[in-house]
Amino acid sequence: MTATAAAGPLDQPVPARGQSQGALLWSRLRRKRAAMASLVVIAAIYMMGIFAPVLAPYSYSQQDLDRQWEGPTADHWLGTDTLGRDMLSRAMYSARTTVIVTLAVVLSGSLILGNALGLLAGYRGGRIDSVVMRAGDVFAGLPDIMLLILINAAFGERVSSLTRWVDTHTFVSGLTATGAASYITVFGALTLFSWVGTARLIRSQVLQLRERDFVLAARAIGATPRRVISRHLLPNVSNLIILSVSGGLGAIAGSEIVLTWFGVGVQPPAASFGAMIFEAGSVRMFQTHPHLLMVPAAFVTALLFSFALLGDGLNDAVRGR
Amino acid sequence: MSPNRLLAILLGVVAALVLVIGGFSVVLLLSGRGGDEGSPSGVTTGTGAGGSKSGAGAVLRLPGADPITLDPALAGDSTSAEYIVELFSGLVTIDQKLSLQLDLAESYEVSADGLTFTFKLRDNAVFQSGRRVTASDVQWSIDRAASPVPVGATQPSTTALAYLGDIDGVRERFFGQAPSVRGLQVVDERTIRIRLKEALPPPLFLAKLSYPTAFVVDRQQLESNPRNWTRKPNGTGPYQLKEWRLGERIVLQANQRFYRGAPPLPQVLYDLQGGSALTRFENNELDVAAIGLADIERARDPSNVLSKLYQQAPQFTIFYIAFNTKVPPFDDVNVRRALAQAIDRKKVATVTFNNMWLPATGVLPPQLPGFTAEDKSLPFDPAAARASLKASKYGSADKLPPIILTEVGGGAEAGIDTQAFLEQWKTELGLRVEIRQTDFATFLADQDSGRLQMFNAGWIMDYPDAEDVIDLKFHSASSLNDLGYSNAQVDKLLDAARVNKDPVQRVQQYQQAERLIIADVAWIPLYFAQSHVVVNKDVQGWFVPPMVIPRLRFVRLNR
Amino acid sequence: MASYIARRLAWLPLHLLLVTFFTFSIARFGPGDPVSVAAGQFRDPQVLERVRAERGLDGSLVEQYVRWVNRAVRGDFGQSFLQQGYSVGELIRGKILVSAQLGFISLLIVFGLGIPLGLLAARASGSWIDPLVISVLLFMQALPVLVVIPPLLWLFALRLDILPTGGWDGLVDIYWIRGVVAVPIPDPHLYLPLFVLSLPGFASIARLVRVTALEVLREDYVRTARAKGLSEYTVALKHVLPNSLLPIVTVIGFALTGILGGAFFTETLLGIPGIGRFTFEAVRSRDYDVILALTVIVSAAFVLVNLVAEIAYAFIDPRVRLGAESTT
Repeated sequence: MTATAAAGPLDQPVPARGQSQGALLWSRLRRKRAAMASLVVIAAIYMMGIFAPVLAPYSYSQQDLDRQWEGPTADHWLGTDTLGRDMLSRAMYSARTTVIVTLAVVLSGSLILGNALGLLAGYRGGRIDSVVMRAGDVFAGLPDIMLLILINAAFGERVSSLTRWVDTHTFVSGLTATGAASYITVFGALTLFSWVGTARLIRSQVLQLRERDFVLAARAIGATPRRVISRHLLPNVSNLIILSVSGGLGAIAGSEIVLTWFGVGVQPPAASFGAMIFEAGSVRMFQTHPHLLMVPAAFVTALLFSFALLGDGLNDAVRGR
Repeated sequence: MSPNRLLAILLGVVAALVLVIGGFSVVLLLSGRGGDEGSPSGVTTGTGAGGSKSGAGAVLRLPGADPITLDPALAGDSTSAEYIVELFSGLVTIDQKLSLQLDLAESYEVSADGLTFTFKLRDNAVFQSGRRVTASDVQWSIDRAASPVPVGATQPSTTALAYLGDIDGVRERFFGQAPSVRGLQVVDERTIRIRLKEALPPPLFLAKLSYPTAFVVDRQQLESNPRNWTRKPNGTGPYQLKEWRLGERIVLQANQRFYRGAPPLPQVLYDLQGGSALTRFENNELDVAAIGLADIERARDPSNVLSKLYQQAPQFTIFYIAFNTKVPPFDDVNVRRALAQAIDRKKVATVTFNNMWLPATGVLPPQLPGFTAEDKSLPFDPAAARASLKASKYGSADKLPPIILTEVGGGAEAGIDTQAFLEQWKTELGLRVEIRQTDFATFLADQDSGRLQMFNAGWIMDYPDAEDVIDLKFHSASSLNDLGYSNAQVDKLLDAARVNKDPVQRVQQYQQAERLIIADVAWIPLYFAQSHVVVNKDVQGWFVPPMVIPRLRFVRLNR
Repeated sequence: MASYIARRLAWLPLHLLLVTFFTFSIARFGPGDPVSVAAGQFRDPQVLERVRAERGLDGSLVEQYVRWVNRAVRGDFGQSFLQQGYSVGELIRGKILVSAQLGFISLLIVFGLGIPLGLLAARASGSWIDPLVISVLLFMQALPVLVVIPPLLWLFALRLDILPTGGWDGLVDIYWIRGVVAVPIPDPHLYLPLFVLSLPGFASIARLVRVTALEVLREDYVRTARAKGLSEYTVALKHVLPNSLLPIVTVIGFALTGILGGAFFTETLLGIPGIGRFTFEAVRSRDYDVILALTVIVSAAFVLVNLVAEIAYAFIDPRVRLGAESTT
């Protein structure tokens, strides 16, 4: 469930001048065919999810009990499931769930915490550094899946009454059914454990940068810490941050399946790839009705593979290749 | 020199390292297995498995799961009971035809006032160790089960009050107010007298005594080895425990000293590893396997080999949706009725579940005294459902408060049928019901605290008497009443039926209560469970009882 | 160095106290308790109250926690509710053994195949095979276990009928040649779980090794060493190998802790009585004593493995001094 750590030092530190970091990265990334192809796939799946209500031929919950487990037909291109629901529509709405889940997690700030703490610990050093790192040891050592279930049991209901309130009192609706409450709870909780890896990575990078000439020079001429961090350190670790976020997104999309398995995720009848795989995920089901697994599996694998390829491409671009 | 040469050298070095470390680990692992405490070494395990696959021999191979406990006084779940009824026995038992039979007792008498039962023990009843079973063993075992903390256990029994509570003095003993159960009296070595608090119909009391809580355990073993006795219990049942490896297997061996004759089947192996039992059955690793939804069509297809091995049998289990009749909107019977009439349970049972389960016709399941085939439940009728909703104090769907249906979710338990009902409520009534899935522990806690509005659950009966479902789940004073349903008329009928000695009249009273409960829509009874299995053709006499009863001694193997 | 290790170890008990108290509070905060789960259908509130009292689950959270600590320091981790009649220690030991055996062998496969393959891939760097290899490896890493297992089982157990459908039967099986000669072979139950467990790890190690090896070859000190005319063997063994191994040491450390956690999906879908499955069961039924014991084991292992990794670092890379800027 954690993002793959980027290995090795950065190619060359970039002082804050000339072409902006982002533009440079983008121009390098654009030359990589695999990364661009994967970006297209990811975009396609996300678009499919965002426009599911328009694109889907049926509603995700519309059922026809008499047409159980049909293979692909003219009116159901990808077949039907146990309740005779259209698999294509379910897949599209599942992509929508993926969009919501990844967004909810990004908004919950869980991808930022590790970076922030890493910067802080690396730059300030000393006591703050050791407190942050010791705390990291404590949290990283906890068995995460176990605690996720417990935390969800303890706080899940509170958070979902919150989303229920949002549903009824604001213009937003349908938030509860997507299981956003569970995801906010669970990923909020997951942050407790997952910030450590990122923080260590960023911290060690900052530690190296801190001793570099341009930082020493900036400090010597009396630049404020804020200026040093924003002008000299951030630009140089921003690539690492982009890497950790992009890796994190793929990991989140993947863990949705896992969490639904534990009964911690999306609430039915909302569609999710996790729920679809769960319903079809036994050998016996696969033997008799393989399309039930193949459909969600194809989407999920395509998505996760694309995230991995993109991450790899980004990694290369960050390292100046 | 090129980087590639460098890499080639590295590769060579690493390959050599891998070989050395790998080889070393293999040796380490192989030797490590041999020293595994208490268990046979890897080598013997291997041959054992090979043997069972090819020859299969006279061992019946069944799928199973680890029992929570093998202590009869503590067990309250069907998995544990399945083993306990083979390893232990009590005064009475229930046979294949679901009729009461004497077991350790050879005769019994009921006093004229119906309060005292006197049991005479069999002459040849012995423990598996060979020691004779005496009246004081029976007395000690029942007293132990009712005690605040039974000898050889770390906590009180959760079943003692439910099954033994009718015996005079059990409550006092359980709550530590009496040193022993005063209703138990040893008359002589072979005679024990049990006095009740109130005169129950004998079949009801005897049915409760057939449950493991009242089984006989070996006092000497428990007192000499209180910590570990359940690992090799000395029972009186037809089988004894030969081997139990947690999560791997349980092996039972025929008890040659069994007082009703040694069982014909010498050994039974329960495979505890989980996974798909049917797949293992088809691989000839198991002799019996349950059939799931994915395979039911295949098993019923006459052209398929499985169909010749397929059996189905009703279970004493009912699935239902319960309403909290104390909170809005379900304090209005019309709302409950509307929800019940708007769902097509028959279609879901026959089409979605492929006839795996029977649509419930009421509360009492098939084979139970009092069951009738006619459908007493509310039929699927969208027009009537809309009328009911209109007749409610809310008048229409959009005026109802939010409704949340809770069920246990995840880990292979989430119900597909609830999603079907949700859609039907939406299309037939325009009503949006939200599902909330929780984990099992949360579900139970919420249910007990009365927080739930409505929930989806099941009830497994333990003895073939209508009291075991109607009284326990619907009497307003029952501690197992789900959500505080209460109807004075129902209570009166149930109180009368509980002590009614006329079996025919008694059943009629329960049927009357059943009709009232259905009219009140305290539950939406959904389905009666059925068990579906395939059984190897060389297994003879296998049957699937509707509840847990001893059955291994009726089975033979022809190979 | 010895004093550094001693300081880190002294921190361990406090660490464990913090971690278990955290877990215990969260477990107790939510609804549900092991007593009602174990009671199943027989949930008479009066009776459950009695059971809670006997099992030490009455009183305030702090009281209960103190009681637990008192028992735990004497080595008594209590009794499970799911498996009565066995101490938590006994239950966990058996399950961890299974998971650890499986995990250890899979680690051997992961590193034994992953490192050489990574080096091979580094050799191919720049050629047309390179992106292909990387893509294949990334694909292996991206495949979710839940999606992979059913088709594999179907193919090997049902269709081809050459492997068992799951289960656990020790590590070694005996293959009889004509019923006379016994040849020990790896138990057939192992093949599928090992394959599934090793696939993603293998791919990520191969990628990691490929990247590090390429980075190290470009480093100044390697160039200098070669320029000085040192023999290839010296350069390879003294400079390239240790530096390429550094990140791998960290990975091995984390992988070792991972073993103790077990592999939930693989164990569940393939019927292996390991610790991952057990953990899930324990959490699902709020089996407090088991939950706390697992927390202790996993956290302690984490701390120790980290410490060992740090020491290993110091040995391989003389630039690293323990205690100073040690955590990387």
